[in-house]
Amino acid sequence: MDTIPVQTYSPRLRVLNHSQALAIHHAALEILDKTGIKMEHDGARKLLTDHGAHHDGEQWVRIPSHLAEEALRTAPRRILLYDQVGRKAMDLRDDQFYYGTGSDTTFTLDLESGQRRRCVLDDTGRFARLVDGLANLSFAMSMSNPKDVPKVEFIYVYAFAEMLRNTHKPLVFIADRLEDMTRIHELACAVAGGEAQLRQKPFLLNYSEAISPLRFPAHVVDRLVFCAQKEIPICLPSGSNAGGGAPVTLAGAMALGIAENLAGLVVHQLTRPGAPFLFAPNVSSLDMKSAVVSYGCPEWSLTQAAMADMRDELYGLPIWSFAGASDAKSVDAQAGAEAMFSITTAMLSRCNLIHDVGYLEYGNTSSLEMVTIADELIAMARHFTNGIAVNRETLALEALERVKAAGAKGLFLTDDHTFDHFESALFLPNLLDRSRFETWRDQGSRDLYRRSNERARAILSGHELDPAKDPGVMGEINRLLEKIG
Amino acid sequence: MDVDALMQSVIRGDMQGAAALTQQALDGGTGPQEILDKVLIAAMDKVGEKFAQGTIFVPQMLRSAKTMQNCVALLKPHFQGGGMTTKGRIIMGTVKGDLHDIGKNLVAMMLEGAGFQIVDLGVDVSADAFVSAVKEQEGQIVGMSALLSVTMPAMSSTITALSDAGLRDKVKVMIGGAPVTAEFATEIGADCYAPDAGSAVVEAKRLLGLD
Repeated sequence: MDTIPVQTYSPRLRVLNHSQALAIHHAALEILDKTGIKMEHDGARKLLTDHGAHHDGEQWVRIPSHLAEEALRTAPRRILLYDQVGRKAMDLRDDQFYYGTGSDTTFTLDLESGQRRRCVLDDTGRFARLVDGLANLSFAMSMSNPKDVPKVEFIYVYAFAEMLRNTHKPLVFIADRLEDMTRIHELACAVAGGEAQLRQKPFLLNYSEAISPLRFPAHVVDRLVFCAQKEIPICLPSGSNAGGGAPVTLAGAMALGIAENLAGLVVHQLTRPGAPFLFAPNVSSLDMKSAVVSYGCPEWSLTQAAMADMRDELYGLPIWSFAGASDAKSVDAQAGAEAMFSITTAMLSRCNLIHDVGYLEYGNTSSLEMVTIADELIAMARHFTNGIAVNRETLALEALERVKAAGAKGLFLTDDHTFDHFESALFLPNLLDRSRFETWRDQGSRDLYRRSNERARAILSGHELDPAKDPGVMGEINRLLEKIG
Repeated sequence: MDVDALMQSVIRGDMQGAAALTQQALDGGTGPQEILDKVLIAAMDKVGEKFAQGTIFVPQMLRSAKTMQNCVALLKPHFQGGGMTTKGRIIMGTVKGDLHDIGKNLVAMMLEGAGFQIVDLGVDVSADAFVSAVKEQEGQIVGMSALLSVTMPAMSSTITALSDAGLRDKVKVMIGGAPVTAEFATEIGADCYAPDAGSAVVEAKRLLGLD
């Protein structure tokens, strides 16, 4: 009789206990119920008060707990994102994790010169294409604030179109006004083959933000309502950064961020119950010397690990998060250290949609090299997180007997067992270099920055989209863009 | 007046101590302008240096600034005639369409600490509002902030509005914010770009010939 297989444990990092989760949650509910939020969108304010929220004067609204609990009940616990040719791509739920790039950076590291320069639309395309060619990156964002768009008021529409042209993978996009949203939605429908098709198989997710503390500008809520109505997945993380828009102590920053997120969720679910909403605030920290919002700090990794625990304890909704970013100004040891820290912890804590991979300079500069390096770091973390399979094959007792029997000539390296298993048993790096010194020296003593630069160029020049982009659809995109210009 | 003790108390952010010493100095007959220039602003100059060197943190710098402002409040009723002489008046705001203000607020506090008078128009400030404020408050510098690249054109519109109102040569324009660059400042005809609060102080002094 066969024995029951030994189940493999996948390492999982836990940072909060049940009491902590409850205490933070109750503080968030208290903020909603007693402090309230500033809802500057008239329609949303009326929606809230019609359902039992209290209007305190000016635009302040207090939201009773039952509204938050009801919104958590109706929001879907799973958001399925497809790619642009209708294949299932990202199953956002529970402990599934997906990494991708980040949104508007003013600068980028030039691939040829290494100089930090302003972004152009070609960069948007390059980053999307690189993501398309990297196995461990699941979605693309703009990684640019292109300075050469025809009309700057529509910068986000042009960026979205450029991403559409260069990858099939799902897109997370930014918009400013409602008009950006409607045009982006139009472009997306053209790709999907219609609004109903896009609703059925969404390949995009909107990233919008309330402003901490407690502020919900009208144009932000316009986008929230639009996405709810059209069932475009959306996340609404406010930047409740410790010491910035939120209290400097992490529990308070989390409670505030969660309260703001819940307020957005309530408006969203009242607009259309069951519409997809990716949960969680961005809780990083304000650097206390430079006043930048840090992208390399341990606090952000900690608070999002805590959000993952709160998802598992209380909320059930998939969460938004970050990793693979740095405050370093170049692709140096700090960049590697900070990126690895967040990539590893995000995976071990099972954050769901993990963005900002490839960011340098606290999100001001994007780097194709960083994205390429991160792809390998994710694979390395993955190898660790897969754990250790324990079964007859992996215990390898028969291989041991053979090596023993072969006497002095016995070598695992030459045994069939090694040949059969080495590719799955071991992590085989491409970029991280383990060669002998002389080999490394003879190949030009190239550091990781140079090696990743070469790999990024190789992918960009050699990678073909599969399938190729439909010329009819691309033509339609151009036509829709011309309507703006 | 115990210059050293008062200076140290401002630098340390000792609000009670500094207030007591300021009152003592006033009671002892020292003029308010002298206390302001020789001690309070001088103390904030030292704080600014420490901050630029990275030896103190933002909350500490802000505590010193708050301490200084407390002392200034004590001085105010004692100014004769024309009132307190400041280094200059700066009209500050985050431009139209943009609601982010942490950076602008930090810059305003640093400038105040350096002895400038700040008129803070808040966020989402239209070009017209900037122009009116310059006219009514006789501002010498206009400081504009933006966090979103889509709102940066509003900086250019404001400069145009100042020209149209015949005020462009009467004020200096300084801009800042995450997506803003020195190159952009040149493009739109601003007088300077400051990347952070510390530089804003240096630039403001330079623009008014105070360095």
